[in-house]
Amino acid sequence: MTTAMKEQMDSASVQNPGTRETMLSLRNCSLSFGNVPVLDKVSLDVYRNEFISILGPSGCGKSTTLRLMLRLLSPEAGGEVAYSSPDLSLGMVFQKPVLMPWLSALQNVMLPLELGEKKFSKGEARDKAESALRLVGLQDYLNHFPHQLSGGMQQRAAIARALAADPTVLLMDEPFGALDELTREKLNFELLRLWESPETSLSSIVMVTHSIHESALLSDRVVMMSPRPAGVTDIIPVALPSPREAGMEELPEFHRTVKELRKRVKHL
Amino acid sequence: MTAMTARIKDSLYPVTFALGFLLLWELAVRLLSVPMYLLPAPTQVVSAIDGSLWSHTLVTLGESLTGFILANILGLATAVIFVHSKPIEKGMFPLAIALKTTPLVALAPLLVVWMGTGYTSKVIASMLICFFPILVNSVKGLKAIEYEAWELFSTYKGTKSEIFWKLRLPTSLPYIFSALKISTSLAIVGAIVGEFVGANKGLGYVVLVSSYHMDTPVMFSAIIASALCGLLLFWCIGLLEKKVIFWTRSEDL
Repeated sequence: MTTAMKEQMDSASVQNPGTRETMLSLRNCSLSFGNVPVLDKVSLDVYRNEFISILGPSGCGKSTTLRLMLRLLSPEAGGEVAYSSPDLSLGMVFQKPVLMPWLSALQNVMLPLELGEKKFSKGEARDKAESALRLVGLQDYLNHFPHQLSGGMQQRAAIARALAADPTVLLMDEPFGALDELTREKLNFELLRLWESPETSLSSIVMVTHSIHESALLSDRVVMMSPRPAGVTDIIPVALPSPREAGMEELPEFHRTVKELRKRVKHL
Repeated sequence: MTAMTARIKDSLYPVTFALGFLLLWELAVRLLSVPMYLLPAPTQVVSAIDGSLWSHTLVTLGESLTGFILANILGLATAVIFVHSKPIEKGMFPLAIALKTTPLVALAPLLVVWMGTGYTSKVIASMLICFFPILVNSVKGLKAIEYEAWELFSTYKGTKSEIFWKLRLPTSLPYIFSALKISTSLAIVGAIVGEFVGANKGLGYVVLVSSYHMDTPVMFSAIIASALCGLLLFWCIGLLEKKVIFWTRSEDL
């Protein structure tokens, strides 16, 4: 099959008869590591302008699902990972910041812009990196090295690195899992602000999380995954108004969602 | 300023102890009238030092440094090949271990037979002894990249050479430097072993000849000179390490 044909199929197969435009979808994706089945027929559509959380027990394959979306891993025969367009731009934020300790914050954010086929000149990459760091509030730390930044600031730099390449879909693997509660809460709202900001081209966010609270507060839909081999057991819409704001944890709808999620987690 | 005075204060302790030790040594030799051929007093060692010691030191330092540099270039290059080719690594690593387990002292006469009593046999001896630490450490360092970092590079379509230059090599630097530090003293050992077997200059030659003549003060001066060579190399590498790997605070020594 030629690449052109494949691309055509990719985009054709994502066309959604409903009202919402699909950015990325997993169809029937199964995956094993050696003899250990990890994912069992996972299907999931990510729509334009939505925030999805993936919730499930530890080690169930949530991170693996993200890696399928990134096409770092391929599903077994019968499965398919489809993008809305062949040049759909994805960004990834890992649980650890994964900053290069020998590069400054600015150089770290510039790094992905200078890999592979060079799309940007040095100057352009620098401008993009600087504005991404400004977005996450690190404009005064451009020349600091990772060991001179706090854990929260490091993770912000990692988010800036993902944003600098102008992703349409941002994938996040427990991005705030290693941070303290206070920093975590702050970054949650910063993330929402970035997502809504017209300065980013961000359309959809998929976030893997352990926190019921976090998933209810941030997302439009919560995807529940079962233990290994993991499949999507439920997709629960969150009926909180958007944009989300601090204090929405007080709303009865928030409590209803948390209660519902908790009940389903128990059933897994 | 305060950091400076603190550093001076810190170095005051070892200096005081060293001076005290030398004083005790001097007194013990003089009071107990220890014969000079058994244990010369520090002052006798100092008075045995002449211009020839300096030129012998330079010879040994030159041999060790050449061997050290060549071994590290060759070792790093071999490590890069190992990391990129599993079959070559599997095939050649046992050979490297065999080379490592062969005592250099046993090989040195062979080297002299092959390459003569000149400069080359010592450089090769030095190389042989320095090769293994850099090989093992750079293989380990080049493989020590975080999986997520590799994923990051793959996500943004980083090429193999970009992964090497921008990820593997910088990641391996702390490992490489710890090998370099180990090798500094080994390099001197290699050169001196080579000189023991057949040479007409160098500190190893001086130690050997002075032992034939029971000229213990000269022997002491050569031993101390060789120790100082090792220290000098170690110190230079340590200084370089601090400049290059600024992101980890390396423990002193």
